[in-house]
Amino acid sequence: MAVDRRMIGVFGVAFVLRLLLICLFPSLPDLLTGRVEVSTPVNSFKRLQEGLYLYTRNVSPYDGGVFHQAPLLLPLFSLLPDIHSNPVPTAIFYFIVDLVNAYALVTISESGQSIQSRLHSAVRKHIQWDGVSVAAWFLFNPFTIATCLARSTSVFTTSGILFAVSNAVGGNSVNAMLALGFASYLSLYPALLFIPLVLVCYDRHLQYSNKSSKAVGYVLQHAAILAASVVGLLALSYLITGNFWEFISATYGFHLLVPDLTPNVGLWWYFFIEMFDSFREFFIGVFWLHLASYVGGLTARLRRQPLFVIASLLGVFAIFKPYPSISDASLYFAMLPLYRHLFPLMRYTFFAVSAILYSSLLGPAFYHLWIYAGSGNANFFYAITLVWSLGLSILLADSIFSALHDEWEQDHPDEQGVEVKQV
Amino acid sequence: MTAAIRNLRENPRFLFTRLPNILSFLCIVVGVAWLLLLPLDDNSRRTYISENALLPGQVHAYFTGSEQNIFRGYKQELQALLNEGRETENQETEVEVTPAASNKVHSILQAAGLKVATQKYEYTSAGITHQGENIYGIIHAPRGDATEAIVLVAAWKTADDELNLKGVTLALTLARYFKRWSLWSKDIIFLFTPDSKTGTQAWVDAYHDLHPESVQPLPLKSGALQGAVVIEYPFEHHFQKLHIVYDGVNGQLPNLDLFNTAVAIAGGQMGIGANLQEMWEHNDSYEARLQTMMRGMTKQGLGYATGAHSSFMPYHIDAITLQPKGEGWEDEMALGRTIESMCRSLNNLLEHLHQSFFFYLLMHSNRFVSIGTYLPSAMLIAGNFTIMAIALWMRTGYYPESKPDTPTGEKSKSEKPTKTGAKKIEKETKMNETALPERLMALPLTLVTGLHLLGLVPLWTFNNIFHQYFTTATYIFVVVDIVLPLFLAALLSNGLGVSKPIIPQQYLLIKSFALLLLGLALSTLATLNFSLSFMIGLLCAPLSFIGRLQGPAALRYGVSSLGLVLLNLLSPPMVLLGVCWYTGVSVESVLTQAAFGWDVWGMWTQVVVWCVWWPAWLIGCVQLGSSIF
Repeated sequence: MAVDRRMIGVFGVAFVLRLLLICLFPSLPDLLTGRVEVSTPVNSFKRLQEGLYLYTRNVSPYDGGVFHQAPLLLPLFSLLPDIHSNPVPTAIFYFIVDLVNAYALVTISESGQSIQSRLHSAVRKHIQWDGVSVAAWFLFNPFTIATCLARSTSVFTTSGILFAVSNAVGGNSVNAMLALGFASYLSLYPALLFIPLVLVCYDRHLQYSNKSSKAVGYVLQHAAILAASVVGLLALSYLITGNFWEFISATYGFHLLVPDLTPNVGLWWYFFIEMFDSFREFFIGVFWLHLASYVGGLTARLRRQPLFVIASLLGVFAIFKPYPSISDASLYFAMLPLYRHLFPLMRYTFFAVSAILYSSLLGPAFYHLWIYAGSGNANFFYAITLVWSLGLSILLADSIFSALHDEWEQDHPDEQGVEVKQV
Repeated sequence: MTAAIRNLRENPRFLFTRLPNILSFLCIVVGVAWLLLLPLDDNSRRTYISENALLPGQVHAYFTGSEQNIFRGYKQELQALLNEGRETENQETEVEVTPAASNKVHSILQAAGLKVATQKYEYTSAGITHQGENIYGIIHAPRGDATEAIVLVAAWKTADDELNLKGVTLALTLARYFKRWSLWSKDIIFLFTPDSKTGTQAWVDAYHDLHPESVQPLPLKSGALQGAVVIEYPFEHHFQKLHIVYDGVNGQLPNLDLFNTAVAIAGGQMGIGANLQEMWEHNDSYEARLQTMMRGMTKQGLGYATGAHSSFMPYHIDAITLQPKGEGWEDEMALGRTIESMCRSLNNLLEHLHQSFFFYLLMHSNRFVSIGTYLPSAMLIAGNFTIMAIALWMRTGYYPESKPDTPTGEKSKSEKPTKTGAKKIEKETKMNETALPERLMALPLTLVTGLHLLGLVPLWTFNNIFHQYFTTATYIFVVVDIVLPLFLAALLSNGLGVSKPIIPQQYLLIKSFALLLLGLALSTLATLNFSLSFMIGLLCAPLSFIGRLQGPAALRYGVSSLGLVLLNLLSPPMVLLGVCWYTGVSVESVLTQAAFGWDVWGMWTQVVVWCVWWPAWLIGCVQLGSSIF
């Protein structure tokens, strides 16, 4: 079992690295928790603490308007020991969540669906990484480590999404829908992944089983499962909070209407600060419509590779979500190595990676100049978030380009290798 | 002309090897020239007061006459107490503040009607313990609501470690004098610290509740601090000019309005000239301006605290030190009036100083350049590394592709008669090309990341060992810097059984990544600390142009050995030794100061040296060293 030993090695080293970081730099988790790049109003661990405090004292956690996360997190975190006197168990809990996410990635990678699915078969099959390498890219990504140390609650959404995908490619479509329901319940936006995910399940179903089923029926059936899982979770939440509409408006209303304009790495906050109030509703509608429109377009154009649609959508979310953080980018970066066979076709990796590196250094520097040194202003930081989004967009566009190129080569075996140039 | 350009465009050797070198070199030359052009009249601007509320020198200063008698009285009392302490301990050279004297300060402030409190603190750095006790008193503003405050600081020891008796006495006299005025709309805090290095830091940290455990919290606080002025007067005779010190920790500067106010009041209202950057004779010529600017840049680049005012800067509190210098006919009353007038100006402020510049280089007391004018020079130097990195990346993508091209061409030429055969071969080569030549990035990425992380070792060492070992540690690092690159180069070239021998493409990739990171770090740094970025950029400039040499063995050995020797002269520890030798300061004291800065002031010059400069330098040496093996 050489492979397993490698996996245990990678997972063990990732765990020890995180443990070392919190032991050597005990102030690091709190520092990261306070960074706007990592913690947004919807995933901040500090805000979770506030909600938890109110919850354990039998006050509605949404009183005070600080806490905006799903109520089911509260009983979970109230089981963990007090964070101030004993921070290590919580940290280890987060480490384990990271490892579990990495395990889901291993499953996705080893299913081979990213290379060969029902309608698609990549041209460069020999260029690929095995599951452990993909997991290593995820576990040793500095963005993932920062998210994990900052104890951001996005990791649970990440778990939901990764498990939905890993179950879908494994053929377990019911579990996939349940996991997606969990992710959507936590953060709302994963619900947009339903269509590509159900296509992954459907393709997989046709590929491996002899029973053929009608597409419409299949989709409706799975939509019902998803809806049932969300309703179940909402019902549980109702049992916990007691006031249904209060929690709906404090969580999903907060996601949809974007009332908190704390700076983050996304594009919404600055735009809505500048906006006149009378146009606000209209532009919120436009922004959400823009975000949702990618689902239809990408799914239709890349019908043959629904798993790639999911990966690209995760990249789109990391750029255009209302409250994005580096954890969303880390999820996108986790999915990219599954498409190792596309890397030779990508043209602007160096520039995209440089832009992302530049912005991840300059972002904190400009934020410092704005907030602490007082010698800069909000435009400094916003300019860098634009560069960050630009870097991610280049990467995204480039990867979609190479996926399309790959499809084209598959259709035209004669023309392989034409016009492929690395810059 | 167009033909020549087309020729050049189609010449890969020019495009990927020559052009980037020329561009990089141009960037460096233009960057340096840009800096040298700054002192010209066309590029620099006259200073001006942006914040209208300041109204410097528009009020009459009343601090005269009878206040001088009180000054003399306080001075006599303090002098007596200091002498007493010195006689009992038999210490002639070391200036140490006696508890009796600080008790006296306490009682004088209390007698003047101020609320007084004390704060004890202790710092340990490089095995040396610094401890002391701050005394401070607060005048509550008769017209304010205690939401804003101005700080006047008098340290018992000046930034040059002289006894600041007259400065402390002046602050006491001013405290008594200010207390009687009814026009203050901001609280005034008088802070007396034992020295200029630690006291204000402990106090201002505790004021914002960010103090370490060894520092006591403050029992008494006021509102948000708007500005701070440090008073020094470390001699008995009258003075001629005021020297204004404004550099903060990590190269942060106070708002230019504060500096301008001081210059305007000293020069315009009081008729005392103002100096800066220890330029006692400044004739406003190009050379003098350039020298002033260079001195400012050196201080900014090294990032150490230049006086008691420096500790305020990280908290966004603008602060300066006023030092009387020279022999003349201005007495302590003139300094007192200057400070009174400054306090009146600060008292006028309606909001925090924000109008004027925070990033500037001063070249005369009334001439400066702002960030928009000077930033391109550091950015060009940082940009040269990025250009080189991109060029190297493109080159690694280009060469492997062009290699299979030539044999294909020959083949098709020889088999031209049979057209079908040629087509077949063409198809085959195309199929092969689908397996695109990919860059082997695992080793370069690991090496570059690893070496940058290795920088943490010297960083930790130089900040944590005891001060008596600093000199030895520096020499050890000189040796390490000679041996380590050669060892790494040998390891990479031959593998030594550990790994596969490295191919030329990977050398280029290593250099590309290293330069990319260097450019990245330096351009970020340029926005925070321009001077440091500029200095490191210049010291690293050769790294753009060195690489693995090719050619006959004898030539390679000779050139690369010579290059390594030259490069070693530019290594961080060698530069440190060289600068210490040139300025006559001991290595130990510099490093003790640096470790102190790291532990107490939060200075991060070392991080830049060990985690940006050193790894980049090391990789340059490895490149050059690899041509030997």
